[in-house]
Amino acid sequence: MADLRRYFEEIELGEQYESPGRTVTEADIVMFAGLSGDYNVLHTDAEFMKQTIFGERIAHGLLCLAIQSGLFTRATAPYATLGFGGLRWKFKAPVKIGDTIRLRAKVVDKKNLDKPDRGQITLDRTILNQRDEVVQQGQTDLVVQKRP
Amino acid sequence: MTAATYFEDVVVDKVQLTPAITVTAAHVEMYEGLTREMGSGGIPDVLPLCLAIGLGWRVKDPPMAVQAFVGLDWKIMKELRVGDTMHTRSRIVSKRPLRDGGLVVDERTILDQHGEVVQQGKFTFLVAKRQKETSA
Repeated sequence: MADLRRYFEEIELGEQYESPGRTVTEADIVMFAGLSGDYNVLHTDAEFMKQTIFGERIAHGLLCLAIQSGLFTRATAPYATLGFGGLRWKFKAPVKIGDTIRLRAKVVDKKNLDKPDRGQITLDRTILNQRDEVVQQGQTDLVVQKRP
Repeated sequence: MTAATYFEDVVVDKVQLTPAITVTAAHVEMYEGLTREMGSGGIPDVLPLCLAIGLGWRVKDPPMAVQAFVGLDWKIMKELRVGDTMHTRSRIVSKRPLRDGGLVVDERTILDQHGEVVQQGKFTFLVAKRQKETSA
């Protein structure tokens, strides 16, 4: 089977991608609360949240971070990723039930790592909602395999 | 209203340890189903971070009155494998008051069953101040 993954050498600085959208549902939030064990009232208590500035339950920040990680794999051909190195991330606005988010990403840095078979790709990532408002933004460092 | 730790009561340098959780194939399948992230065979690197935030609530002290998760600065040091058991350690690094509430920086470390650091970084939370008593 052909290997469609893109290796470190093939990924160029300045490449940009935009993912399809995904509507964040109540089920997503309930499932994420169950998976993570994060039952904070922000995400689970509709009555309490009516009295806050948000007015309703909001999605976990990390749920949207995880969703964008999946959207990235639908935005471009897969990288030969070995793992995440790190991330620097800001949660800028709430995501509410029924909001549709999408990912915009750009390759901003490439560097070699100590091990000769891999390099690090840094991407700027922005999560936008259906009104084109920035809801989350940051940088991720991916460890990507070099061509064997 | 349940008990909570408000901004005024957050203690800088306080260290707390959480209970541990064994990361299973079921966690990985749920995570991949939820995120639609392509399976790589291992544990997706964001999954331990998601479990860490859940473990963070399972401590003796009342939970911080978090109004918003503001930011995250995070490093992945070591791959976790299915069957590994992780727990987290948190240390309050700093607090800074704002007009409403205040910012708290909380350093979280994910450790495995051998005590080795798996992931580590800093969470910044917006934490509510105690509500002023209102006279009836």
